[in-house]
Amino acid sequence: MPAYLIPSPGGVPWLTLLMLSPLLGIALVGMAGALRWDDRLVKIGVTAWMGLPIAIAAVVAAGFNATATADGQGAVQFVEKIPWIQAIRVDYFLGVDGLSLPLVLLTVVMAPLAAAASWGVTERAKTHFALLLLLEAAMIGYFLALNFFFFFIFWEFSLVPAFFLIQLWGRENRRYAAFKFFIYTMAGSVGLLLLFQVIYLATRSAGIPTFDLITLGRLGQGLPVDGAAGSLRDIIFAYVDRLGLTASLGRYPLLYTSIAFWAIFIAFAIKLAVWPFHTWLPDAYGEAPVAGSILLSAVMSKMGAYGMLRIMLPLVPDAAQYFAPVMGALALVGIVAGSFGALANIGGDIKRLIAYTSINHMGYVMLAIAAAAALPGGASQDSRAIAINGALMQMVAHGLSTGALFYLAGALHARTGSWQLSGLGGLRSVAPTFAGVMGVATFANLGLPGMAGFVGEFFIFRGAWASLPLFTGLAVIGLIITALALLLMFQRIFLGPPGEVAQGFADLRPAELWATAPFLALLLLLGVYPAPIMNLFNAAATQLVAVFLRALS
Amino acid sequence: MMSFFTQYAWLIPALPLLGFALITFTPLRQSKAASGWTATGLMLAATLIALGLLAAVAGAPAGDAHGEGFAFPAPAVVQRFVWAPAGSSSLAMGVYVDSPAAVMLAMVTITATCIHLFSIGYMASNPRQSRFFSFISLFASAMLLMVMADNLLLFFMAWEIMGLCSYLLIGFLYERPQAYRAAVKAFITTRIGDVLMLLGLVYLWTQAGSLAFGTGEGEIFNPEFLHRIGGEPGILGMSHATGIALLIFAGTVGKSAQFPLHVWLPDAMEGPTPVSALIHAATMVSAGVFLVARTYPIFLADNGTALAVVAFVGAFTALFAATIAVAQYDIKRILAYSTLSQLGFMVAALGIGGWVAGMFHLLAHAFFKALLFLGSGAVIHAMEATPAIEKIHHQDEYAAQQTAQDIRNMGGLRQKLPWTFWTYTAGYLALAGIVPFAGFWSKDEILAHAMENGNIVVYAVLAVAAFLTAFYMTRQWFLVFFGAFRGEKPVVYVNAEPAPSHHAADHGDHHAEHGDHHADHNLWHESPTMTAALAVLASFAVTAGFFNLPFSMPGGHWLSHIWGQEAAPLNWTVAGISLTVALAGIAAGWYAYRSAFAKAQDTDPLDARAPGLFRILHEKYRVDELYAASFGRLTAVLALAWAFLDRRILDGIINGVGSLTLFLSRVNYIVDDTLLNDGPRADGA
Repeated sequence: MPAYLIPSPGGVPWLTLLMLSPLLGIALVGMAGALRWDDRLVKIGVTAWMGLPIAIAAVVAAGFNATATADGQGAVQFVEKIPWIQAIRVDYFLGVDGLSLPLVLLTVVMAPLAAAASWGVTERAKTHFALLLLLEAAMIGYFLALNFFFFFIFWEFSLVPAFFLIQLWGRENRRYAAFKFFIYTMAGSVGLLLLFQVIYLATRSAGIPTFDLITLGRLGQGLPVDGAAGSLRDIIFAYVDRLGLTASLGRYPLLYTSIAFWAIFIAFAIKLAVWPFHTWLPDAYGEAPVAGSILLSAVMSKMGAYGMLRIMLPLVPDAAQYFAPVMGALALVGIVAGSFGALANIGGDIKRLIAYTSINHMGYVMLAIAAAAALPGGASQDSRAIAINGALMQMVAHGLSTGALFYLAGALHARTGSWQLSGLGGLRSVAPTFAGVMGVATFANLGLPGMAGFVGEFFIFRGAWASLPLFTGLAVIGLIITALALLLMFQRIFLGPPGEVAQGFADLRPAELWATAPFLALLLLLGVYPAPIMNLFNAAATQLVAVFLRALS
Repeated sequence: MMSFFTQYAWLIPALPLLGFALITFTPLRQSKAASGWTATGLMLAATLIALGLLAAVAGAPAGDAHGEGFAFPAPAVVQRFVWAPAGSSSLAMGVYVDSPAAVMLAMVTITATCIHLFSIGYMASNPRQSRFFSFISLFASAMLLMVMADNLLLFFMAWEIMGLCSYLLIGFLYERPQAYRAAVKAFITTRIGDVLMLLGLVYLWTQAGSLAFGTGEGEIFNPEFLHRIGGEPGILGMSHATGIALLIFAGTVGKSAQFPLHVWLPDAMEGPTPVSALIHAATMVSAGVFLVARTYPIFLADNGTALAVVAFVGAFTALFAATIAVAQYDIKRILAYSTLSQLGFMVAALGIGGWVAGMFHLLAHAFFKALLFLGSGAVIHAMEATPAIEKIHHQDEYAAQQTAQDIRNMGGLRQKLPWTFWTYTAGYLALAGIVPFAGFWSKDEILAHAMENGNIVVYAVLAVAAFLTAFYMTRQWFLVFFGAFRGEKPVVYVNAEPAPSHHAADHGDHHAEHGDHHADHNLWHESPTMTAALAVLASFAVTAGFFNLPFSMPGGHWLSHIWGQEAAPLNWTVAGISLTVALAGIAAGWYAYRSAFAKAQDTDPLDARAPGLFRILHEKYRVDELYAASFGRLTAVLALAWAFLDRRILDGIINGVGSLTLFLSRVNYIVDDTLLNDGPRADGA
């Protein structure tokens, strides 16, 4: 194995175990179904079972060497690589690096909260919890898979449990939302799928047929790969040249990487809900059951950003650099649109409001990615690394805080029977703990210093300022308006004289408190001292952006 | 040389933070009295360490002023640890105490302790007393951390936590729409300044490579670095230094409530009065001034543009707010506008290069303004217990409180509240600028600086503001403490948003801000903890000026000396003019109000003379209305516009694509069915 791949220590397939552990849980749920066990047992059992992936992920994190870099990239660790389908060079290839490990950790941590949020589910509870486990496994697999074949399978497959969660346990408009979510993501990834066919053919004609994302990323960045000469851009260009396409379309290598870029970008931008591909999001988050909202917002939207970091930046850096201003502009519009969209929902639906703040927050992530890739204009490697650090930190923080907010919105709904903010008010008097916990989650979400979200946002602004100062300067509008929307949300629910809704309104139960407290504690811990998590990805991020230090086209 | 106090300086913010944690997370929160005394005790311990630290820092030989220009004295304490990686570099956090910080720590801890002590009496019967103490402990911790931050990011983080506490405490009486609206307004208005400051920080970090205070390589006061950013062109045709300085100053404009972001501070008076004293007079609002003082070398690095803006904003606010204060009736709002005005003095002082003058006024003002606010709290506390207002209280608690704060309803409280009167008078004379009270020395230093540097416009504007200060304070002082008591037939506040009537059973819950006076036979009562706090602050209002007496004698120019700055000798002419201006203001106030308001319903003499002017001043130049009609409406319209765009246009396209696909498949079906198959089947399937 090359130096940048470090096999799993002792040959224990930790990542396979990590990915399979939720699936094993499904088997247990199936057994419970066959034995007609009580739903309550299944609910508690599944939630507890989700501790197993956390434990395995903790082993991986403990054994992860965050500073390991080799041959111009962060080392991929815990690698399991087994030839699978020799004919098309598909390997069973799992591994983690600094870009994926934080998201794996986020996934396993968020899953129990989603399960806890589903304790109130009464219809087909066993199926519901089995789907949660299935979704968890698919998302873990997505972040671990390093061969496009498996990567894409997990990408598409994660839609299935999510679709059924929305479709079967959602609100009134669930059918529309579920289809929109499914078809939109599906349609967006068609380009990605076709592109990788072409890339495979191109690499084959260059003598190194591969679906290996790490190898392709190295080729894209011009890093040395055994047996390969030239960058991925050259390989693609040579291939289309041989096909005769250059005769009609022109001999511009950037043109072909640009086509590749857009195929990749659109697929992931839809998932990340980059403006204008975001309209599925308020519907999906809004109509999904609470567990669905939690997993969709906290983890699934990050799949888009991860795809950009794993595939878009390394494979087609020249086109990413060329189109960075476009990505930055879309990010800015999304930041502003998301914040005003949230404000527009202030008299309406709490879940849609939180959904729009997610669009706003993911806009910052998009901005950071654009800034990391932008043309050199005095932006140093550190600035770009800071942008990527900020993006990953923002993803983790947003997952934790939005998950907590959706959970609490669900708890609110369980008490009032309504998702509307208009009929509420004055609940702080009768439910002080509820108000306190939701207050912490709200301020964490709006990026209060001392909470993890601020670290992400500050690093994004710092990193983006160096290469896209105008967009960064205008993006502060989002900071103000999102804060306003979230404060007004809190006010609508909790402040004012206690009204009718306050009659008999129960404060947060201990179980609910303990479901959310770990997330708030994590947000606080990482906000006060972010080094532990940021050390995980700093080295990988620094290596990732090195390619952008020169003009690529 | 590390003494105990320098070694353990970090305990100063840590102790109040411990107080916050104890009160919030342990059963201590169930005990009202214990929570108050815990917070106060820990605050007192922090005060002792801060005083020890100040002694240690002041005792160390101050570095000589570095010839020309401005430089900070060498820090006594620098302790740092790596906080976050940033590519190949990293970001460190830690504490940094030099003599300006040490003096600030002493001031903040002393005022905070006094205000904690006062609050024990003031909040005695509030059912949420423990929450109150947990919030102000957190606040004190954040403020102290900010003062001793070793870099601008930590400074900013603590600054924002203060903003959170301010939000929580303004909205402390959260049943009231007025309170929670004011809280949101404060948070959002200051956040406008804060996000610009955040841009200033990222700009500075991008340029300097760190945000750490200090003159070393890669630190933000490095002389070569400052020279470079002063020369290189940056954004919008300004040099980097100008751009960074102005963005940082935007934070000051928000936090220190300078025009045009001043609108939140008067509304912040919805919070309990000790909060107004601590956060919205003595400490947090002056943090903005401290920010400019802290980053002063950056302001000096450019060609003077940034400082000119600072001077203009400060001087304008000083005068603008003073004129508004003249026409207010609410005792706390008068003080609030006075605070705006005095903050303007400090900002203007920094803007004209008077670093020592600005800092000196910040310190002196903190003591006497805290004193005045607490005094007003004692007055309100007593007023709320009067029969006429008790009666209103049973119907509408908010209206009762507003009525109790109306100076037209007061009068003759000199005899009824003697402790309050004498301490308030000390604060009043200090603010008006009468020798030898604190405000005289510090304000005079600002004016002298303006005169000497030839900033005649600034000098004139500030002198007029000083005259108005003496005038409105005299008006207030007369109407509150002299004449006959007018509270039997008060001007009753008309509450446009009366809270729903409460049931008798939960009445106690809504006795939010003042004690249960029914059992108290002595109507005009001054609680011992409250008077003790007033007395301590009053002693500082009298003596704080002596810390930087402008005479060449032992102990003279003490602050200048320990700050390592050059001290200007006394300018007798300027001092004479200042005193004359103050006395003229007092005389005018006395003349106008000596026999005004025989009863509460009378017209203000100024109102009678110039009703149009009085009205526009009373309505604060209608800036709030202007903002609501412009920015407020714009925000609402944009929100609707985005919602429309999403719902109709973008979703329209998405759904349109879906419908088109359906339509095409339908066409395809028909084509297939009729042309290729045998036509539609008879059963229509």
